[in-house]
Amino acid sequence: MRVLDRKLLRTLWRSRGQSMAVAAVVLCGTACYIAIASAHSNLELTRSTYYAHYRFADFEIMLERAPLTSVFRLESLPGVRQVRGRIVEDVNVDLEGADEPRIGRIVSMPDRQEHVINDICLLEGRYFSEGNPNEVILSKRFAEANRLVLGDRIEASIDNKKHSLRIVGIALSPEYVYMIRSVQELVPNSERFGILWVPQEFAETALDMKEACNNIVGSVEDPEQLDAILERAEDLLKPYGVFAKVKAGNQISNRFISDEIKGLEVMAKIIPGLFQGIAALVLLVLLNRMVRKERTEIGLLKAYGYSSRAVAFHYVKYALALSIAGSLAGFAVGQWLANAMIRMYVEFYDFPLLRSRVYFDVLARSMAIGIGFSLLGALFAALRAMRIRPAESMRPEAPHYAHRTLLERVPALWRRLSFTWKMIGRNVSRNAFRASLNAFGVMISSGILIMGFFSLDAMDYMLKFQFEIAQREDVKVSFQTERGKDALYEAARFDHVRYAEPLLQYPFEVRSAWRKKDIVVIGVPRGARLQRLINAKQEPVDVGATGLTLSDRLARDLGVGVGDVLTLKPLMGRITKERTLVVNQIVEQYLGSSAYMDLDTLSRILDEPFAANAVLLRVEPGMERDLSRHLKDVPGVAAVEVKADSLKGLQDTIEMSAQISNTMNIVFAAVIAFAVIYNITAVSLAERQRELASLRVLGFTTQEVGRILYHENFALCVVGLILGIPFGAGICRLLVSAYDNELYRLPFHLDTETFVTATVLSFLFVVLANLAVRRQIRKLDMVEVLKERE
Amino acid sequence: MTAQGPSITGAAPKAVFRVEGVKKDYRMGEVTVSALREVTLEVYEGEFLVILGPSGSGKSTLLNIIGGIDTASAGRVWYRDDELSAYGEAQLTQYRRHHIGFVFQFYNLMPNLTAEENVEMATEISRNPLPAREALRLVNLVERGGHFPSQLSGGEQQRVAIARAVAKQPEILLCDEPTGALDFTTGKVVLDVLNEINRSLGTTVIVITHNASIGDMAHRVVRMMDGHVRDITVNAKRKTASELEW
Repeated sequence: MRVLDRKLLRTLWRSRGQSMAVAAVVLCGTACYIAIASAHSNLELTRSTYYAHYRFADFEIMLERAPLTSVFRLESLPGVRQVRGRIVEDVNVDLEGADEPRIGRIVSMPDRQEHVINDICLLEGRYFSEGNPNEVILSKRFAEANRLVLGDRIEASIDNKKHSLRIVGIALSPEYVYMIRSVQELVPNSERFGILWVPQEFAETALDMKEACNNIVGSVEDPEQLDAILERAEDLLKPYGVFAKVKAGNQISNRFISDEIKGLEVMAKIIPGLFQGIAALVLLVLLNRMVRKERTEIGLLKAYGYSSRAVAFHYVKYALALSIAGSLAGFAVGQWLANAMIRMYVEFYDFPLLRSRVYFDVLARSMAIGIGFSLLGALFAALRAMRIRPAESMRPEAPHYAHRTLLERVPALWRRLSFTWKMIGRNVSRNAFRASLNAFGVMISSGILIMGFFSLDAMDYMLKFQFEIAQREDVKVSFQTERGKDALYEAARFDHVRYAEPLLQYPFEVRSAWRKKDIVVIGVPRGARLQRLINAKQEPVDVGATGLTLSDRLARDLGVGVGDVLTLKPLMGRITKERTLVVNQIVEQYLGSSAYMDLDTLSRILDEPFAANAVLLRVEPGMERDLSRHLKDVPGVAAVEVKADSLKGLQDTIEMSAQISNTMNIVFAAVIAFAVIYNITAVSLAERQRELASLRVLGFTTQEVGRILYHENFALCVVGLILGIPFGAGICRLLVSAYDNELYRLPFHLDTETFVTATVLSFLFVVLANLAVRRQIRKLDMVEVLKERE
Repeated sequence: MTAQGPSITGAAPKAVFRVEGVKKDYRMGEVTVSALREVTLEVYEGEFLVILGPSGSGKSTLLNIIGGIDTASAGRVWYRDDELSAYGEAQLTQYRRHHIGFVFQFYNLMPNLTAEENVEMATEISRNPLPAREALRLVNLVERGGHFPSQLSGGEQQRVAIARAVAKQPEILLCDEPTGALDFTTGKVVLDVLNEINRSLGTTVIVITHNASIGDMAHRVVRMMDGHVRDITVNAKRKTASELEW
């Protein structure tokens, strides 16, 4: 081994605390990048393979009822590759011994297995057998959660008739990778909702849809042409009551996965730069100090005949050694984290082949990023080492000139400062770069914390908004068709019902100039108490007798504001007359994006005196379950939803996944803050050993000497925290705009608690760094230090 | 072997320090170096003591032990009635804080603080300090109080260091080669200041140096060699700093 390399190893060992802190930042950066980038590659690859293999549809059209012949006409449209008409309907499923209602989504499949659009991936059992229409293939998780196995029977209530279906297969589908019934559910509840794939023949008979369908899925040659094709398809299907056209991008399950993938992609871009950049900055400080300290040695080496380059490379190697060590450890941790992430994804997503793999391109890229940044960090010190000339190096470095700080311009204030604070003030202004790096470290660290806590805050608020502030019913009863006042009175008379409120949901096409959208307009009675509208100031507002209330996202999509006029066209039923309506007000909505209108006005538009297709109920506490059991069997009732049931598990699931990522975030924030503060303080301590030792000689206690360093760190921590708040809030804003689509958007909501926790944790990190330095202050050897000439 | 030194007051001299059989060994890696081999010595209240010796004679080690920044390997040290050699780290810190002033060859001022602030720093931790300006006046540097160390000459820096040490009103001033880094003329100014402090404030001053002529201004001179006290002499007539030649 060359002598210089031996020196390098000893230097690494002697400054092991600092070296390890730098390597730890590299480790975190690498681990984080590998985990995120691997998860990204994994999800992306798995998704595209799965979609291709099982022919995930490019579009889905929902309609009232269309003859199957129309589907063939659709297939002949230019650019359309394949089309399938099917019957899709949510029904109640009765399971023995289950007291909560289950909702099964009937999805019809060809009687005989074919390579169809939105195919299923059979995991167990077999496809339907001929001549046995009462067979069902269940979605895997629903079967598992309800302990259903092949051969078991389940009862589906369709149009007040019970059908007994035998389970012949267990399957997955690319359409339901993220299995939620509607966007309002947010996270899957596999016990309560599942897919029932049934033979076309059974669906047609049971739902009275002979030779007809209510859902068309298809694929196209060129996704660019999708809008034009859908336009033409709609014209073709006009007589059959098209109420929704969904492009693959807005398909619920796909949307959630896409957002997750997009989120990972963004993180993979930001994270490595953040960590490695910080590692590079810390290296810069460390190496600069090292070169300054080893000035004489460098001069000596050069005097002996070592080339400038060899000496400079010596310091580059120090950076490389730390970076490579950190990266290698990071690989291991990253791969472990990647596995953990995949395990978490498996909890939420139903992919047939999601497992963790090693992505060598990710490893290579991560290594390259790590090395690149460490070289950047070493560059400055290496150049400095190159410039040192042997003769000069033997002489002491020119003394630095202290200068007055800004604070001193206010003598009244300066005079009041204790000498500790004067020292801190001067030191900060003398080492402005280091001080800013210190504050920067805290800023990044608290930003990461705020960002981490934000996701939980936002989700919590979203749930609170949705289920406490806006929707205040206990039970929602949906009817199969529009009903008159009698239905409302009937519902209000049920046992345990305290209050009932009607709701009318109806699909419309809204137009504003060239912008067009299919939406659901929700009719709400004036003075509604259960379905409330909340404006941007978080106050409940009334729907108003005339005009439309739009959710903010919808208003943005349509490019309209209060006072603008919209044209509405009903998408179902016999009424086709268009109306123009004025936008009255804009309200907040995080899940879905709807328009609201006075229920009576909406009824009149549909040419009815009063119409409702759902009733919201306030129920005596604890009686929801009884009521729902009873309501399920009432003729005309399509679905009964108990809010408490929907909420149950939702919060836990969100909290659980947030906790995992928060633990990671806290670790990362701690490593960054600690590595930065500890290293800078250690460098500062090394540089000022003499100064601090002479304070000890003067009779200052270790504590008092330490205070000069600690207080500086705390002061810079405060600066970092102050900067961290807008920085963290800025990241949250970015997240809010990244997750803003028709299906859902994140509220920009940060709890005070988040800031408090971030502040407390950041201070804790500083305390930890200070404690680590304290040992070195204790060890300050007064005799040794003061003996040497400066 | 204790030689009776002159007492300032003329009464029986009172010992500030009693050093009894003090040894100090340093472990330098594998080898042990003996810096002090059995030193016994008394230092009297109010005296100006010069410890002479070549480098390596153990004089700095002795001063450091008396000053409480180093500890003896064997033997005992008393500061008045308290056994210094039994003190712990915290007690030693308090002892330095309230009783001792140090002056070093290389000044050891805070580069970040002005001359006056350097002195203030000491006044902040002592019970009964001299005002910083007062201390600077003692060393004739009031008008340079606002300057940073890097803007002062070596002699001026040393005087600031003395002012800083004196500002705590210590009973003992320990000076390790205070003129070692200074030229002849500047050195004499510094020594004169030390003498003046000894005279006017009654502070016990111990100066260690390898410069034998400085011994002429002391009440007593202790000569050290190879970790031993070789002899102690009493100056019948003391010279003033300006009379010194080297």
